[in-house]
Amino acid sequence: MRSISERSTDPGLLVLTSLADGPKHGYAITADVEQLAGVRLGPGTLYGALSRLEGKGLIQALPAEDRRHPYRLTDAGGVALAEQLRALQRVSRSGLERLRLAGALG
Amino acid sequence: MSRRMSALALALYPLAFRRRYGEEMRQLLLQAPPSASGVADLLRGALAAHLRPPPALADVLTPAERLRASASGVLACWVVFAVAGLGFYKTTEDRPFSAAGRSHALLGGAHLTVQILALIGSAAVLVGAAPLVAAALARARREPGLRRMASAVLAALATFALFTALLVVQARHQHADHASNLAHSVFVLWVLSGLVCGAVCVVAARRTLFAIAVSRIWLIFAQACGAVATAVMAAVALASGAYAIALIADASGLAAAANGPFGTISTAASLAVQAVVMVLAATLASIATLRGARAACQLVAAQPS
Repeated sequence: MRSISERSTDPGLLVLTSLADGPKHGYAITADVEQLAGVRLGPGTLYGALSRLEGKGLIQALPAEDRRHPYRLTDAGGVALAEQLRALQRVSRSGLERLRLAGALG
Repeated sequence: MSRRMSALALALYPLAFRRRYGEEMRQLLLQAPPSASGVADLLRGALAAHLRPPPALADVLTPAERLRASASGVLACWVVFAVAGLGFYKTTEDRPFSAAGRSHALLGGAHLTVQILALIGSAAVLVGAAPLVAAALARARREPGLRRMASAVLAALATFALFTALLVVQARHQHADHASNLAHSVFVLWVLSGLVCGAVCVVAARRTLFAIAVSRIWLIFAQACGAVATAVMAAVALASGAYAIALIADASGLAAAANGPFGTISTAASLAVQAVVMVLAATLASIATLRGARAACQLVAAQPS
C-alpha cells in the first residue's frame, strides 16, 4: 500500500472521484479511495482536501448524520472532475502510445 | 498512545478548523485509529491549516473571536521568543562579553539594542494583557473553573520565581571561573520551570480569553500592544543576528568558546540557534498580528462607535 505522502495522486481529485457516485462521509471516502486507487488518505490530508474543495464550491456538506457530515459533489464539482479526468485520460493515452512505439510494452 | 497523540494533534488545529471539522475528525479517528504516520499527517495538516487557512472557514469565527485568537497567538510566540531571549541573556552575561562590547561598536550597539527592545516588548505585552487579566480575575471570583485556572497560573509563576531566585543565589556563591554540577542542575531546572510556566500561562490565557466577556476597546488595545510586541520581536531577532555575526567577526575566540551548562556547543552555535527560534517566533507572531489587524478592522466596520 503506497502512502499519499508520496504525492503520486492529488487528494482533491481522489475525493472528487470518490464522491462521483453519491454522497459519503469522511470514513467512507477514505475506505473508497483506498479500494479505488490503492492509497490511504491520512486524516489531515483528507480534511485539508475537503476544506479546500468546499471553499472552491466543488463539494457541499449535507446535514450531519451521527455527528458526521456526508459530502456531495456540486454541479461545478462534477464539471471540474470531468475536466481533470479527461486531461488525465489524454496524458495516459499519449504515454501508453509512446511506450508502445518504443517497444516498452511487452 | 496513538489515540492520545491524535487527540493532541487535533487540538493543534486552528479554532475555526476544529469548530467546523473537529467533531467529524474525532469520529473518523475513533472509527479508524491512526498509525504513527497518520498522526504525522494530522500534524502536517494542522500546520498547513495555520499557514493557509481554507477560504471555506472565513466566516466560522466572529471578528471578536479572531481578535482573541490573534492575541493568544502573539502571547504564545512571545513566550517562545522570551525563552530564546533568556538564552541570549545567559549566553552573553559574562564579563568577557561586556569587555568585547566596549571594544567593538557593533557588538556593544547590538547588545544594548536587544536589551532596550526587550524591555519595550515586555512592557507592551504586560500593558496589553493587563485589562484582560483584570477582567479574567473579576470573573474568576464568581466561576470556580476560572479560579482554578488563575491558581494554576499563579502556582506556575511562583515556581518559576523560586527557581530564578535559586539561580541568582547560586550564581552569587559560585566561583567565578568554575561552575559546579549543582550550578548546571539549577540552571536546567530553571529552564524547565520557565518552559512549563510559559506553557501554563499560554494555555490558561487562551482558554480564559475565550471564556470571558471583554469589551471590543480592550480587545483592539491588546491587538495594538501585540503589534508593538511583534515589531519588537522582529527587531530583536535582527539585532541578535547582527550580534552573532559581529561576535564571529570581532571576537572569534569568544564565539568559538564552549557554551551552555554542559559546554556541548560553541557560543556562536548557541547564538545561531537562539536567532533561528527568534525569527520563527517573530514570523508566526507577524502572521497572527496581520490576521488580528484584519479582524479589528472588521469589528470596527461592523459596529462603528
